Amino acid sequence: MVSKRKKKYSTGEGAQFMTRKAALKKLQLSLNDFRRLCILKGIYPREPRNRKRAQKGQSGIKTLYHVKDIQFLLHEPIIWRLRDYKIFNKKVGRARALKDFENLKRYLNSHPTLKLDHIVKERYPTFIDALRDLDDCLTLCFLFSTFPSIAHVPRDQSALCQRLTMEFLHIVIEAKALRKVFISIKGYYFQAELKGQTITWIIPHHFSFEPQQKSEVDFKIMSTFVEFYTILLGFVNFRLYHGLNLHYPPKFVSMSPNSNEKLLVDEDIFVAERVNALNVSLLKTSDAVDEEIEIDNFNSEDGPENIEDAKKEAENIKKLKTLFKGLKFYLNREVPREPLVFIIRCFGGEVSWDKTLFVGATFDENDESITHHIVDRPSVSKQYISRYYVQPQWVFDSVNARDLLPVNKYFMGEVLPPHLSPFIDKDRDQQYIPPEERALYDPSILEEQHKKDAMEMEDQDEDEDSDDDAKEENESPETENTKKKGKLSVTTGEVYKEIPWEKDRQEKQAYRLREKMIKKKHRKLYKSMMEGRKDRAKEIWLLRKKRRLHDEKKAGEKPIKKKQKAK
Amino acid sequence: MAISGTKRKRVSKKSKLSWRKHTKVKDIETFLDDQREEERLGAPLEVLTNEQLFVLDTKPQTELLTLREKRRLRATRPLKGFAALQPHTGVPDPIKKRNRVKTKEERQKKLIKKEDKNRKAKEIDAVSQRRLSEIRRENERNKRGNFSLDLWGDTISLSSESTIQKKAKEAPKDLHKKRSVLPAVELPHPGMSYNPSFKDHQELLQIIVQEESKVIKKEKHLARVTKDIFRKVSQDKQQKEWMSEMSQGLDLNQNMKSKSTIKKEENYDRKAIKQEKHSARRVTKDAQHNEWLTETAQGLNINEKIKEEENEDDLDRISINPPTKNKKKTLQQRRKQREQLELEKQRASLKREKKKIGDIHKIKVLKQNLEKIENKQKKLRELRKVRLDKKKLEPKVLSSSKIDDPGFDFQMGEKISGNLRSLQKEGNILSDRFVSLQKRNILEPSKRAHRKRPKIKKYVKPGHKDDWEVTIARENKLLSKK
Repeated sequence: MVSKRKKKYSTGEGAQFMTRKAALKKLQLSLNDFRRLCILKGIYPREPRNRKRAQKGQSGIKTLYHVKDIQFLLHEPIIWRLRDYKIFNKKVGRARALKDFENLKRYLNSHPTLKLDHIVKERYPTFIDALRDLDDCLTLCFLFSTFPSIAHVPRDQSALCQRLTMEFLHIVIEAKALRKVFISIKGYYFQAELKGQTITWIIPHHFSFEPQQKSEVDFKIMSTFVEFYTILLGFVNFRLYHGLNLHYPPKFVSMSPNSNEKLLVDEDIFVAERVNALNVSLLKTSDAVDEEIEIDNFNSEDGPENIEDAKKEAENIKKLKTLFKGLKFYLNREVPREPLVFIIRCFGGEVSWDKTLFVGATFDENDESITHHIVDRPSVSKQYISRYYVQPQWVFDSVNARDLLPVNKYFMGEVLPPHLSPFIDKDRDQQYIPPEERALYDPSILEEQHKKDAMEMEDQDEDEDSDDDAKEENESPETENTKKKGKLSVTTGEVYKEIPWEKDRQEKQAYRLREKMIKKKHRKLYKSMMEGRKDRAKEIWLLRKKRRLHDEKKAGEKPIKKKQKAK
Repeated sequence: MAISGTKRKRVSKKSKLSWRKHTKVKDIETFLDDQREEERLGAPLEVLTNEQLFVLDTKPQTELLTLREKRRLRATRPLKGFAALQPHTGVPDPIKKRNRVKTKEERQKKLIKKEDKNRKAKEIDAVSQRRLSEIRRENERNKRGNFSLDLWGDTISLSSESTIQKKAKEAPKDLHKKRSVLPAVELPHPGMSYNPSFKDHQELLQIIVQEESKVIKKEKHLARVTKDIFRKVSQDKQQKEWMSEMSQGLDLNQNMKSKSTIKKEENYDRKAIKQEKHSARRVTKDAQHNEWLTETAQGLNINEKIKEEENEDDLDRISINPPTKNKKKTLQQRRKQREQLELEKQRASLKREKKKIGDIHKIKVLKQNLEKIENKQKKLRELRKVRLDKKKLEPKVLSSSKIDDPGFDFQMGEKISGNLRSLQKEGNILSDRFVSLQKRNILEPSKRAHRKRPKIKKYVKPGHKDDWEVTIARENKLLSKK
């Protein structure tokens, strides 16, 4: 007997893949329903290793799915809901055509709904998984919260997006989780840290809605994504609220549940109410003590430097959390309120605005305890002496610098210093940074430079009347020395000859030994790394030197010019 | 006893007339009048209690009723048509026990009546219950975003669609794996700040210039390879060229000759061509068969040869190849062949042995060769890995169309305002998200299919044709003229 001949593509890659058309046939769904199901379930098309074999010899490029994925979809209960939808649509269409309004109403009242809870759980088995995938979700939800009701974007969807995003912002405020902010031309970038996961999202600039061209984006698909993401965000919010002992869903005073009718009337009112809701702190069900996490001093492989770094970082963040505590901000009316209120409240500040224009102002403009008045116009007619008039960028830059920046550069009407991105890579220390730029990141350097400049100026002044100062200076150290001597007591110590370079030498030796311990596998990489580092250091040194020479040359020129002027 | 007043005058009431004249019925009449009045107007005010007289006014006198409410109120009132049937007096029926037909309800038995009442109460209860549950269901259903459970809690049973839960299909292993290494929200380039530093902005512009120049280069290349290959010619010129090409070889001067001469020439030409063809055919055939003809035709007569030449048509069918001949080797030849083969084998084995010995001496070189090959493979492996890593950053090919990536968003220097108030927005987050999903292999790139509208066939109804004046009106005119 001859064994049965094997059919082509019955095993291997040919049997592994399935075209989209075949999948539709197998699932008995329309293309739209299939795409929806795939998005909800998180099943995406695949790229085969060998396309010809995967397409069973067919030419061209086809959208392929794994057969196992399709089988997985086959067992999904919501597939029946999608089929119900189809039937429902037919019934409604028929009733409408026949003008059978009684039945039409009945059908519409009992429309099938998708329940996605189990899918969320299935796709994100743990809470951390869900948090990790929140970037996309938040960005889309924030975007859709600005949409009016359009085709494929029902009104209740955008309303739900508004509610959920607002709740999320509140949780960020309560958890003090915000870390970085950035104003780009596209929108506001925010980065928060929740449960150890960094979450980045974009909030669009507040402009009026601009209609999208149909050819660019498929609204139906995006709406399906949002449909899933709202459910995800809701459950995440629920868990986060309960983790912070807050009641969920939170109730905001100004935002009544019937505010949908108001929304129809005036969008501005709605926005104002939303901002107001941001300014109200939530009620806690019980007072929980914030856990202070102490970093343990274990000897891990990372080495002591990394632990030190981590400790420093933790301290910085602790400081950042109370950055605006005790400060009172007043927002002028031209300032975008939503991001600013959110940021200021995140770091413990108090905010208010013009009470005649918007709802929910907590204090008046003439309150003397206001420390910062945020203005975005060249001048204001009535000014108070007790407060700083700064531009909104000061708030953003202060957050990124993790310290209150000196306000003098951000005063009203000033030309602002550049708004730098906080999302720059870490190995920036291996690049040459001119002193001006470094000052932007580290205000202490700026102060130093200021002092230096001032000193130079003084020096120049002092040159003229240096005689008096010199005398004083000569006198002062002597007096100090005498005072100190009186206080100290001297004891005879043992003679101990210390070789100054011995410690260094030993450290170097240890370092070399450690270098030798590097595995053979990584040796080359290490070598090239060190060489690169050396090169970059050299380059920095060279550029610094050039700068120094340049500065010196300039400094030399200055007095000459002065002298010429004097003449 | 004092009898007051005047004595009543006795009057005869014998006749009807005198009876009517002298009987006093005034008191009775007043009493009856009072009674009638009471029936009409109700009891006198003195008799009535305060509660009966006065009503506490709790509702506004002019109630604002909607049109619908008014209509509903009107519907409860009795029909105007039946108003005449209603009694309009308050006079009670003088016959207290008037015999009348009992209504259907009165005729019903008590037991049944009780049952009926119970049933009705139940019905009403059921209706209200149903409505309540409907409302409850609607609240549950239509409210999106009713999150009231901890999805990642310890004890939780998700209510699935069916009550009898089958064992869930196991998810594919890589369901939780991310499909791309790219981040969901790409961190912005520092030059995309609303108020960027000069250096960052220049860097961003540099990147954009590089990308754009790549695109331009590709476009140029494509144009050179496709469009620019063909020279451009105007329609007239093309026509002229076509004419000149087609009339190549035709001596236009000869048109002057008379037709007869042309005909003659043509005839002559035809003959000449025929002859030429004939001879040519013969020549080629001759060349083809030359060799074997000479061999095979040795024994044939010359006559036959001539015959063959005469019927060339038969020759076409005969095979060109010479007929096969069964040649046999002699025994001797076979033996010699065998011996040769054996010898060859021996020689080869000897050579192999020799080479083995030689190889032992060459071991070093062999080792080097092996190492060389290994090194090469290692390098290739590394290269492949690098290429793979690079490929990971690129989107996979999921469909026949390509991603339409708009690239970085940027603003030119003049558009940058430097403050938040006069900031100009750039880029679209929605399309950015859409492209990002495509880049992360979540969506397959697709071109939006434009729905083609069906072509409408247009025609004019016969009655609306423009020529109606010519056809119908003209006839009418003609008729009227007659």
